This record gives sequence, structure tokens and C-alpha cells, in this order.
Amino acid sequence: MSKSVTDNKHWLISQTELESWLDQIANARTLIAPREVAGLTLYRPVEKSAEIAWSDKPLRSAPSGRPVLSVKEIFFPATERMFSIQKSGQDIALKESFPDWETVVFGVRPCDAHGAKLLDVLFLDTNPIDMFYARRRENTTLIGLACKSPGSTCFCTSVGGAPDDVRDMDIMLFENEGGYLAEAMTEKGRFLIPGGEWKETTTDLPSANFEIQFPIPEKGKWPEHFNDDYWMKISERCLSCRACAFVCPTCRCFAVRDELMAPGEFERIRCWDACAGENYRRVAGGHKPRPEKGERLRNRFYCKFFYYPEQYGIGNASACTGCGRCIDVCPAGVDITEVLVDLEKPA
Amino acid sequence: MYEPRIIAFLCSWCSYTGADTAGIARIKSPANIRAVRVPCSGRVSPELVMRAFDQGADGVLVLGCHIGECHYDTGNHRAAKRLPILKSLLTFVGLEQERLRLDWVSASEGERFSRIAGEFTDSVRALGPVHWRVNPDGNHMPDLELSAISELIPYPETDFTTKSAAIREKARELLSSEQVSCVIGYELSRRGRTRPVFIYAPEEADRLVWNQDCTNNLTTYLPYKLRPSKGKEISKPVAVVVKPCDSKAINVMVAENQYRRDQVYALGVACEGIRSPDGNLQTRCITCQEAVPIVCDTLISGVTSSFIPRLSSYAREEITELQDAPPAERMEFWLAQFDRCIRCYACRQACPMCKCPECLYERDESTFIGLGIRLNEKRTFHLGRAYHLAGRCIGCNECERACPMNIPIGLLNQKLAEEIEAAFDHRAGLTVAPSPIVTVLSGEYKEN
Amino acid sequence: MNQNPMLPYLGKLVEVRDLAADIKLLRLEMLNGGSEAFRTYQPGQFAFISAFGFGEAPFGIANTCGRGPMVDFAVARVGSVTTGLHELGQGDVVGVRGPLGNWFPMKKFKGNNLIVLGGGIGGAPLRPVIQFVLDNRPDFGSLTILWAARHPSLLVFTDEYDEWRAAPNTSLHLTVDNPDDNWKQNVGLITQLLEKVAPSPENSVTITCGPPIMIHFVTKLLQEKLGFTPRNNYVTLEARMHCGLGKCGRCNMGEKLVCVDGPVFNMEEVGGLLETYM
Repeated sequence: MSKSVTDNKHWLISQTELESWLDQIANARTLIAPREVAGLTLYRPVEKSAEIAWSDKPLRSAPSGRPVLSVKEIFFPATERMFSIQKSGQDIALKESFPDWETVVFGVRPCDAHGAKLLDVLFLDTNPIDMFYARRRENTTLIGLACKSPGSTCFCTSVGGAPDDVRDMDIMLFENEGGYLAEAMTEKGRFLIPGGEWKETTTDLPSANFEIQFPIPEKGKWPEHFNDDYWMKISERCLSCRACAFVCPTCRCFAVRDELMAPGEFERIRCWDACAGENYRRVAGGHKPRPEKGERLRNRFYCKFFYYPEQYGIGNASACTGCGRCIDVCPAGVDITEVLVDLEKPA
Repeated sequence: MYEPRIIAFLCSWCSYTGADTAGIARIKSPANIRAVRVPCSGRVSPELVMRAFDQGADGVLVLGCHIGECHYDTGNHRAAKRLPILKSLLTFVGLEQERLRLDWVSASEGERFSRIAGEFTDSVRALGPVHWRVNPDGNHMPDLELSAISELIPYPETDFTTKSAAIREKARELLSSEQVSCVIGYELSRRGRTRPVFIYAPEEADRLVWNQDCTNNLTTYLPYKLRPSKGKEISKPVAVVVKPCDSKAINVMVAENQYRRDQVYALGVACEGIRSPDGNLQTRCITCQEAVPIVCDTLISGVTSSFIPRLSSYAREEITELQDAPPAERMEFWLAQFDRCIRCYACRQACPMCKCPECLYERDESTFIGLGIRLNEKRTFHLGRAYHLAGRCIGCNECERACPMNIPIGLLNQKLAEEIEAAFDHRAGLTVAPSPIVTVLSGEYKEN
Repeated sequence: MNQNPMLPYLGKLVEVRDLAADIKLLRLEMLNGGSEAFRTYQPGQFAFISAFGFGEAPFGIANTCGRGPMVDFAVARVGSVTTGLHELGQGDVVGVRGPLGNWFPMKKFKGNNLIVLGGGIGGAPLRPVIQFVLDNRPDFGSLTILWAARHPSLLVFTDEYDEWRAAPNTSLHLTVDNPDDNWKQNVGLITQLLEKVAPSPENSVTITCGPPIMIHFVTKLLQEKLGFTPRNNYVTLEARMHCGLGKCGRCNMGEKLVCVDGPVFNMEEVGGLLETYM
């Protein structure tokens, strides 16, 4: 539901005003927006608003324009150097490596912004604070774009979200009769709005009641189904590839490695990893807990709907944002919505 | 003044001694050569060569004993077979072909060593510093696409009811007679998407379908289904619905002893082709040469003459376009592709042949590539995987289909398949025969 | 913790000695901020040690801070990081992150009889428990130590057994799976030894550390045959870890993370989850 978080001004702007505003932003900072790349939509840096993947004006709000990777890759990139290590004999020097640019991301869908919020719970709100994530997050402003309707694999409404949910944005835009209604949700967002140039309006923000697509089991239901054979059955088609976890806005498992840069110089990096992979839990010596695909897939679903919420205290919400990317990318047709529906059915 | 850094892999018995001989006789050799002594030129695996380039070598020289003189009999045969294939792969992704050279030098040929070393260094010097290793802190590569696209053929309306019914009936029969323990086929998900299904009881046979979206190569599940349970071999075969391309994978895996032919019941479907998400025929189907499965226990046939191969085998037009472009442009193109990769391994997991218990490129102790999801590592992973599939890849192109980032990795496999056929007259999967370079450890090298 | 928790402190190896076959004891002197971080730590906690260039891995701290200021770690050579550590010698520098994790509630155990069961290198995280009891002997009841290994050459801390035996109200029982010619003591699994020793559950607490399969069978035996309640069975677990801070998700056991909710667990809280861990 599109209730504004704060009692804020709304602005009404045209497509042209939007594009020139984005051009200004692109000049002053790094602007990241959805772009067409090799037949896909991806978040990429743009130097001019013309490079953005506008389908027709106004911007198409159907999530088929949803980038394949979520905004997670901006705060928590696929690979990140944490520090470099200079080693010469018994002398060791460590040098930290922090990202240092200001970013604005345009065209963020509510599911992605909510995913970032869920990652905040882990990286920022739970001690110790993750300094790499924190640095990127505080230097990034999110300009959201409400979806007019859910896409074919979307189910944000089932997990407490909505296509026009403003909660986790800095600025939110709503398509409106050839232009956009804009609202700033946070100080960071307000800072970006070119106050004098835009026309204030009293037009109400669109408020649509989006149906909850299907009910999902409440958190307490998960433990009793842990030993069901169901998990082994649905996982037979799984390839243990990890694409689902990598495109997911909230999957956060990472690996830490030392890699060689030059003689005597190493870097410690962290990079994405996922529990779906076969070697994820392998210990030195070769023993592998979770050797079965079913155990791994079960862990992934449980983590999303039970472990993560329990561990990091997000109450009865799940860590799933209902974006549907995992359904789109799975090469073998594993479908998280089937699992949710099956679990919710009476026994 | 740029001086190239050359890594030379020299075999202990002949070429390393040859280099020594040159030194003793005071014959000059370029100082650019850094020698790495290996027991045999056959030891020089693609990972070593790629590692050398990844770490900044401008050129890699591999010198072994003359054919017929190898201390290990056929070690140099191995090098003679492998390295040209690797070279064609590396040049395909933009390395200049002068930067990798394989030659033969015997222990007494000091002069020859010096001459080859000098020639090689000169030609690498003329090319300038190598553009291979990318700065990991760099930004996204430019977005490059090929202009040539293999002709688009819209997928016509086709009636699949007969085939679907035939598959169901056969599956029902196999399961009720208990001839097989499981049938791996395709079903429609609740969303209407065609996907793999595993059925165990005759009543479930009605779930099976056949349609234009049966894209998965179901043979990828066979090693998993056929693995021994509690130390004992599973008692019954597993049935699998296979298209002509898929069925070739069975031959390759049987040749490699991953399972036995009698453990698989192939429900072969004569195939009209498979549709891609844009509504056209998939590119692999355009170049398909087999309308009927090679490995087949029961044939599900039907109308198949609608699609005549439009292009000759392997000739995806993108490959021609790339080969005609200068190396620097090829390099730019491929770097742009690999930049998108997220190293999810969907390509590897979808492949029926990639079944190493622990992938060489994912090992904790991997000294060949890092674990990072960065451009250099991603490229090496894909090149290495393509090389390991040379002579084994059956062209189902599921790797490319599974890729969430639209990377045309099938081009690498196709390119190598062309090279293998030209060099060894071998096409993967047509018979039960292993790849001539990856799995066969010895064998005569025939000079063309 | 002021600094970035993913950035290690530096520690200097002041002593490296063999503990058992392929197992070494590394004694570290903490440098720079590390000495402050490691001023106090509790039995059961662990730390990440970096062999720079190879990587880092978690190891149980093998002594009490009372016996500091040097910090001990027992390292078995099983993979690339531990091989890197085994190549180091006195004076070499490693990275250290810690102390991490929770600890044995020694205060709660006061007045109890303690039964400590260690299998193989699992003995290392239990050594601080033993040291703590010995250094505060009057606070605890009897101390029964059951120590096992596959072979006599794999028993750890053998040079301290006399000190343990000599302490008041303390007994040490050893067993190996495969004896050598000089072995005069028990032969068999630790479960067999446990049945033989048959400690009384009254006012007693057990602490077990070893391979997952050992933990499974020991706790089963304790509860099913020897009358212990899960609440009085403590275990210290290990899992593959990469961050140790509760972020990377790798060490989860159900909804618990071994690095922050453990590694010390009470069997009552974790019993059902152990299946996912094995």
C-alpha cells in the first residue's frame, strides 16, 4: 500500500524533467540505472539518462524490465578486496581497502529496496557492523520506481511487500499520466530533489490494493516439516548451480580467500557463495555435511523463511522479497512458490 | 623499451638439456626466457599455460623432445595433440597466435634451441606487450555484441499429442513391468513451464509431456541417479527421455566409465527442434545433424522433416565473424562477455559431462585460478572448462541456455569441436569413444 | 573492537612444537592491538589464524588466559591453510582475529563434578577447561578426563598428563583405537571407555569435543545408558567458517550459527539440530 512514511510534499514532473535531473546526477556522482546489455536488463553505470533502458516513455513499469541482478551487487559486490597483505620475510603489512564513491541508483523496485533493508539487518544492525557494506550503503541513494502491476513470477504481496511499497526507498517515483509523481522518503532523498525547479502538487499518490497472491506459511510451521521426504523429491531436478542465490536480493553467504597479487603480495577477498553448492560446507579432510541435494535445497528454503528471520530477529517476516528472480533463472524449473503453497496446505 | 617476458616450459630430458648445451657452447639466447623445467612436455597442461599468461607472460614457449624420442614414449604426443587445440582456443578469445609456440629440441641441439628462442622472442617483441591480464580493480567492460546472428527461424505450430502419448505409454510399461526404477522425463510445472521430472510409479506417467520446450539435457542427472547406494550398485536401470543431441552424451559417459550402457534405458525422441524464449528455433537445432537419437532403446518417432539443417555442422555465423576480426577486437568482445559472468556455475552444472567430484576451478587448493568472481578468473574458468570438454561436448548448448547472463559460451565449445574434428576426425558421442585429447593418455600423433 | 573485525591483528610465533603426528602447538605473542583484544578470554572460545597467502581458519584457543599472556593453538595439518601454518617457525608472524564465540559457563559449573571427553585433536579446546579447573581446584568437584585417539601417536598434550593425574580428585583415562607395541592402557573407542568408567550423573556435567560422529555416539550413550540429562551435556562444535562473526552464513546449524551461538552448546538447545550438522 502506498502510504507515505512521512507526511511529505509530492512533486509532479515530466519525463523530460526526469531525464535532465538524472543527467545532472550523472555529472556529479555515479549514476547506476537499468540498462540493456546483451538482451538483458542489468544495473550499470550510465553517463547520460539516454542510456537507460526506457522501453517507451514513460518508463515501463512491468518487471520484465527488472534487472537480472538485484541492487545487492552494489552494496555487496560479487567480489570485494578487504585488505592487501605485503609479506617480506617475517614482516607483514596489512592495508585496508574501502570503496569511496557516491552513488545514486535509479529505477529500484520495491522488492530490491526491501532486500537491501533485509541485508541491513545483518550487516548493519547486528554487531559487529560490516564496514565494507556500511561504507557502500551510506554513500548510496535509492530512487525507486513503483511497479504498476506484478510480473508473472512476482509474489511480493505474499511476503508483506507491494509493487508500490515506499518503505525502503530514499525517493519514490510513481508513473502518472505521462509524467511522474515523486516523493522523498528520507533526508538523503530530499537532498537530491531540486526543490525550486519542480512543481509541487497535491495529487494523491496512487494507492492500489494489490491482492495477496497466495498465503505463505507462518514461520512457526517450518520446523515441523524439516524431516519430510518432500525436500528430497523437489530437489531431484535441482542442479546445485547457485544461480538462484546469486540473483537473490537477500542471499548473503560469502567466502573469504587469500589470493596472490604479485610475489610477496596477497589480497584477502570475499566473494559470493551459496549453500546450494556442493562444496559449500566441505571441511579440510573431505567430509561434506549436507551431501545430498535435498539437504542443501532444504537449507536454502529454511534459511530464507526461518533461519535468517530467527537469527537476525525480523519477527514473523521472511527474508524473501518475492521478486521472483530465482524462478526466472533456475535452469531446472525449481519454483519457490510451489514450495510455499505446498507447505501452507493443510497436512 | 619494452622487453617481452617469455615463459619457456622445457622438458628435463631433451629441451632443458638443449638449453644447457647452448649455454655451454656459448651460443647466445635471449635473456627474456625464464625457464620452467618439467619432466615432459606432456606435463604442460592448459592450466599451466593460462596461468602463465594470467600472471603476465607476454609469450609462452613449450619445447619437448622430437616425436619418437620422448623419454616416456608418448608424452610429447600428448603435447602435440593438446597444445594446438589450446592455442586455437586462446586465439579465438583474442590472444595473438604468435604468443604460444610448441616445438621440439633435442639435448644436443643447442643451436636449434637458441634459434627458436630468438625467433620466438623477436616475434613476441614485435607484437608489443600482451593484453591479457585485466586489472581487477577496473570497471565494467564495454557492452559488445556481434552483428551476425545465426538466422532466426520461427518455431512453427506443431502438434505433440502423439509423441506425448507414446512417451507416457512407454514409461507406464517400463515402470509397471519393473524394468526400470525411475523414468526421467519432462513435465509441465504449475506455472506451465516445461521442466525435468522424475517418476517412479506407473500412475505418475501421465505427468510426462513432450513439447517444443523440452530443452534440458536429462542425461546430466544420470550419474547422480546411478551412483551406488550404501556401497551397492543400484539394481535396476534408469530410463531417460533423450533428444538426439542428449543421447550422444550417453556414449561419451559410457566411454569414460561413468556408468554402463545397460544401466540406462534411452527413450529416444525424434526431435523437431527446441524453441528458445524468443519464439525461434534454438541455434543448436539449426546446426543439428541428427534427427534421430544415436543412443536409443525405444524410438518415439513422428514428423521430423520440417527442419532441414540450414547451416553446415558447427558453422555458427558468430564464429566466422569473430575469426575474421582482428585479435584485439576478439579480445574486447570476449572480455565484455565474461565480465557479465557471475560464476554461478549454472553452465557447468547443466552440462552432462562436467561431473568431476571436485571441479579443478573450485578447489580450495586451486593454484590455477583464484576463487574471486573477477574478470581474469572468470575467463580462465570458461576457457579451462571449454578445453576440458574438447572432444566430449555433444553440442546440446544447455550451458549457454542455463546461463542467466546471456553469455554465448556455446561458441567456445563449438569452435573446439570444429578443431577436434579437423585434427582427429572425431565427433563426440557418435560412438562409444573417448575424446582424443582429454581422456586418452597415449596414442600415436599423426603429423598432418 | 575498534578496528574492522575482518582485519586481523598480528601475532608472533614464540614457540612451535610437535604435539602429535601432524599436529603442532603454536604459541603466539599478540602484537599491536591484539594484546589488548586477548587480554581476557574464556575456555571454549576460538580465534581465526591467518597463514598469510594461504588463508585463515578457526582454531580453538587451547589455554586459559590465566596461563597467558601467550595464546596456544593446536593445529592439525589437513588442508592448505594448516599446511601453511605448519611451514612456519619461531619468529614468523600470523594474523589473529578473536577471541570469538561463546564459552563454557565455568561459573555455573562450580561445585559440579566435571567429565571431560576429548577425541583426537578435539582435546585442544578442552585443555583450557582442564587448566581452569586445576587452577581453581577447590571450586569444583571431581574431574574425570577421558582422552582418546586413533593411535598413540595422535594423543595430544601427552607431556601434561602427569600434571593432570597429580591433581587432587582428578582421574585421567586414555584409550586408543589401534595400539602400538608400547601401549599398556585401554584399547577401544571412547564410548567403550566411557561405559567402563561409568561416571555418575549426580551433580555432574559432561563436556565433549571431537569428530561429529563421536559426539553423536557419546551423547547418546550418556543419555540413554548412563542417566545424564541433555541439559548437563555440553559440547563444543566446529564447522567450516569463513567470517566467524555471524555474517557469512556458512556455519549454520539450523537457525543457530556455530560462530556466534556457539561453539559451546548445551545438548538440550541443540540436540535436534545435530543431524543437520553431520
